[in-house]
Amino acid sequence: MALNILVVDDSSVMRAMIIKTLRLSQLPLGEVLEAPNGQEALKVLDNKWIDLALVDINMPVMDGEEMIDTLRQNPETADLPVIIISTEGSETRKESLLQRGTGFVHKPFTPETLRDTILKTIGGLDEQKAGEGTV
Amino acid sequence: MSKKLEKELYKAATLTFEELGFLLPTPEIDEQQLNARVEAAVSVDFEGPFSGKLLLRVCGGLLPIIATNMLGEEDVPSKSLQYDALGEIANVICGNMLPEIAGSDHIFHVSSPEIVDDIDLPPVAEVQVGLGTGRADLLLFVFNYPALMEE
Repeated sequence: MALNILVVDDSSVMRAMIIKTLRLSQLPLGEVLEAPNGQEALKVLDNKWIDLALVDINMPVMDGEEMIDTLRQNPETADLPVIIISTEGSETRKESLLQRGTGFVHKPFTPETLRDTILKTIGGLDEQKAGEGTV
Repeated sequence: MSKKLEKELYKAATLTFEELGFLLPTPEIDEQQLNARVEAAVSVDFEGPFSGKLLLRVCGGLLPIIATNMLGEEDVPSKSLQYDALGEIANVICGNMLPEIAGSDHIFHVSSPEIVDDIDLPPVAEVQVGLGTGRADLLLFVFNYPALMEE
């Protein structure tokens, strides 16, 4: 199955770096879409089927935390796999995000770390769908 | 100036330039690097248990090199992308430094980077990182936590 991935970050250079890493990762990619903040990301999600969102935390207009809370409250997007890609160093905040069912990749990251976290997140989702485990 | 803050600032900066900007810091800063002309500066604000600002300025032709390296392209990116790349470097340095100086239990909000000229305030920490034939200067300003300045 090809993955449609949404990359949400206010830095266009960081979005480009993440997309380049995705293209080199040998993951089965479908469409890769971009948004510069949470609000624009929610608009993309209204119009496109997305399998995975890669989301920064600190962004203008709508930050990553607010975006994830909005996703989790909507039955159509409540189970969307999300990986936070951020410089966040607070264990308190990271724990709070992980409790909302997200993965986490710390910036700066290596391509291997991003690929492995995506595989773990998507693999976990498949297990959950098959009723063989929980995320 | 706080030695502890400068150590953490230097550590976060060198890690970020290496892993995000694909630039290896030089062990020493030579005459050419020291005399390099300032070409751009950005800053990020942070708020949490204490608030402040991190200023990053680059000298000696580093601005296009950082963006070119980050994007992995042969053509030199536009000025807008060059500043975007520099801002992201400042953001990542700031995000990696804060838990090291404040502890990982505290939550900080880091703002989007802004292009600046200079900041007319005394920094609590200042470091220089030699990169190629240029250098990066990092200045940390803390506004409401005098104890941090004395460490």
